[in-house]
Amino acid sequence: MRKLEIMKKSYDNMCIPGELSIRVQQEITKSRQKQEENRNAVGCRRRKRILFGMETAAAAVCILFTAALNMSPVFANEAEQLPVIGGLARILTFRTYEAEKDDIAVSVEIPTIERIAEETKVTVDAINREILARCNQYAQEAVQRAEEYRTAFLETGGTPEEWEKHNINITVGYEIKQHGSDYLSFVVRGSESWTNACNESRYYNLDIETGEIVTLKELLGSDYIELVNRSIREQIDERRRAGETFFSAEEGGFSGISEEANFYINENNRPVIVFEKYEITSGSAGEVEFEIIV
Amino acid sequence: MKQMLYEKLIQYILENQDRFYRVAYSYTRHQEDALDAVQNAVCKALEAYKSIKKEDAIKTWFYKILINECLKMVKKRKGILLTEDISEQGEAYYEKGYEQDNDLEKELDRLEDDIQGIIRLRFFEELSLKEISYITGFNLNTVKTKLYRGLKKLKENMQEVDV
Repeated sequence: MRKLEIMKKSYDNMCIPGELSIRVQQEITKSRQKQEENRNAVGCRRRKRILFGMETAAAAVCILFTAALNMSPVFANEAEQLPVIGGLARILTFRTYEAEKDDIAVSVEIPTIERIAEETKVTVDAINREILARCNQYAQEAVQRAEEYRTAFLETGGTPEEWEKHNINITVGYEIKQHGSDYLSFVVRGSESWTNACNESRYYNLDIETGEIVTLKELLGSDYIELVNRSIREQIDERRRAGETFFSAEEGGFSGISEEANFYINENNRPVIVFEKYEITSGSAGEVEFEIIV
Repeated sequence: MKQMLYEKLIQYILENQDRFYRVAYSYTRHQEDALDAVQNAVCKALEAYKSIKKEDAIKTWFYKILINECLKMVKKRKGILLTEDISEQGEAYYEKGYEQDNDLEKELDRLEDDIQGIIRLRFFEELSLKEISYITGFNLNTVKTKLYRGLKKLKENMQEVDV
């Protein structure tokens, strides 16, 4: 049924009213405020639990925690989730901050890698510095973009009240993909609530033994590009048969990976190639992943 | 953990809001109603996030809420239609940006509501039959039967038109 495909396309291209994101954001803000009230009500209990968790952790690490990190609920959650002493390296929230100016809300959570075994002499400082610089730069640029949007909005007849309702949010954060005994894999993301155009994701894969960034070449050998391309093409064919759509070559679909392809290492220690939204298929599919099995 | 789930849900909503709108629009055929349905669904989901069992269930869980809200809207609209002059509505339902000169779309519209819904979820939203079964509340075999019956009907009707 080719007609169904044509319909699917026009469905995917349906125009979305701008009001949608404003109304969705409204609900989220409303809900967040409610959450905040609830949290304040149980605030005392929460803090106690954090302290309890800390006591059970190694004392030395405890000092490091309090010295280097902001105490935040987010951090508390992460600490609950990760084994306190696991591999040789782990990831921590280095700093979090939230700011608001001109009704542009910024929330930043910058990760940092920490070596647990100091004597191995491997440093990850360079990577940490890069992450920090990247996060700060993204946040700064995003605020600038939002400010430009605000100026344009006000100059074209928008009122400050209407602007406030836009609830512009800028978020920088990270997500751990794998924290195993061999690799540490995570992604740092920056996003803006009002546009998808400038979202940024950067993947980091570390060999826990050496503290070095792992490349696809190291994982798959020197003909990795060919290998990965073949595997992805096969998987695309397979998924097409299962009913998924991908852009064709003329539509700007998959045309082979570059040396800088985004990937993370999953719990099976296999690389997973990630394509950004809109990269090889319609936006509705979001990010698309391919596990490469050799 | 619950807090993480809450954040995950918000992230999911922000990333997929366009999809929600498309689903809502295909059910309600009305921009305002679709926006209302999405907003209500987001509101309900954020209130009830604790009832999500697993993180991977967010998608189907949210769709279930969304479809429910859409059906409510459709019902409400039908109630209004009975009291208003129907001829006035007619074409106004179709808005720009949504292909309407496609005869398949017209045929699809003629099918029973639940069959239409299943076909749209399957082919446009690319959900699995199992997911559709959870979302619509029909059991898996019913979903299958309805889907195939719907497709068969479409094919038959289309052939008539195509000749």
